[in-house]
Amino acid sequence: MHLRRFILSSFAAAPMLAFMAGAADAQMVPADAAKAFITSSGQQLVSIVNGSASDAQKADQLRQLVDNIVAVDQVGDYVLGRYINVATPDQHSQFLSLFHQLLSYNITYQIKAYQGITFTVNSAAPMGNDMVVDTTITSPGKAPADVGWAVDEVGGSPKIVDVIVAGTSLRITTRNDYASVITDNGGQVSALLSAMQAQINRIAGQ
Amino acid sequence: MRLKTKFSGCAVPALLFTTLLAGCATPPPVSDTADYQAYQQQNDPLEPTNRFFYKVNDKIDTYAFKPVAQGYVDITNQPVRTHVGNFITNIGEPARLVNFMLEGKPRLAGTALVRFLVDSTVGIGGIFDPAGSVGYPETDTDFGLTLAVWGVPAGPYLYLPVFGPSGARDVLNLPVEFYATPMEAAPASTALTDFGYSETGIHLINTRAEYIQPIDQIQATALDPYATFRSLYRQSRDSQLQQIDKADQPTAPDWAASQH
Repeated sequence: MHLRRFILSSFAAAPMLAFMAGAADAQMVPADAAKAFITSSGQQLVSIVNGSASDAQKADQLRQLVDNIVAVDQVGDYVLGRYINVATPDQHSQFLSLFHQLLSYNITYQIKAYQGITFTVNSAAPMGNDMVVDTTITSPGKAPADVGWAVDEVGGSPKIVDVIVAGTSLRITTRNDYASVITDNGGQVSALLSAMQAQINRIAGQ
Repeated sequence: MRLKTKFSGCAVPALLFTTLLAGCATPPPVSDTADYQAYQQQNDPLEPTNRFFYKVNDKIDTYAFKPVAQGYVDITNQPVRTHVGNFITNIGEPARLVNFMLEGKPRLAGTALVRFLVDSTVGIGGIFDPAGSVGYPETDTDFGLTLAVWGVPAGPYLYLPVFGPSGARDVLNLPVEFYATPMEAAPASTALTDFGYSETGIHLINTRAEYIQPIDQIQATALDPYATFRSLYRQSRDSQLQQIDKADQPTAPDWAASQH
């Protein structure tokens, strides 16, 4: 019985070990550094959102900010998950390029609803390999939202790798969303790429 | 842990049996590893049926719930909606008290009792939440989470008509929730029945109003909103379970800590 449980649990732990090995080169960002990073990123975000620029200018500024503060490639690889082994190198790079575009669109969409936001950084605590910084975002006429930002060291500087709202992780949700598109189309990564492209075309057409 | 293995042996097939009468998804071949793993992880063998009800609910929502919720937002402001939320939360405290006792979480059961007593009186029938501001914050639970604490696994995903995301375990919460309200303890009367209907109605609308923006966003940005809601539901249930464990730690309340 014990042996069986041991074998079962080592099977269960295997993917976790593989994940940890993959992330081993990333260093845990100290709590204070993570808070400082999120504070400055938040200030930049708030100044863009509440600024007087046109919507198109704001979208451009946001795109640049996102590329600076979010580890988009790493998040993209996480979201692609196990299909990274199924995708051809071509499909992989195409996926990352589409993922960059969609992420900017999604953030821009979200930001529209947050005109007049204020941003308070609360505390930071380690969760898994990341340092999660808790913040409260308030906007007029809405209940305050608690948002956690998972920060990891990527390429020598702190970057955002996940957003956590009410215990739900954005990268896990997106991974499940994308995986569903692939499984519904007989395991074809190309189906995901065309769904992403269709989404971009749809948003651009609006 | 031990309970978990025992229950997974009998409860899930029994529950499955009752629901398997509807359409089933075709699993991919085991040899197709990446796809097969994804299928296992989704744990959604009734996907075609679930997707059908998702579409039905989406229509009901588009033409009924969402417009009503939008109208409600137009005629109320956030403080009013927060007070309505407090009132609904307060009515749920006795059920939470019972569930926390069943879960073996005495500290949280005590908090639920104090919250109900303080908020119903000082908080004027639960419209205000004075208990929350003096160190008795709300922790949510329900019978589905009680079963989870007992070791019953979540089981296959279910998308129910009208009720929305659920699972083979969490669906058992519905009949319990129906009876576990303070209104059940009061003597029957027409006024009480009307109150019950209004409470249910306002509960639905207030909750839908809270989620207008996030739901719109998911529908606008997700490639597969059905799968996105499924993922969010599962993560949120896991998170609620973790919150219960976290909140039941024996720590001194603020007023006691300040005396030392």
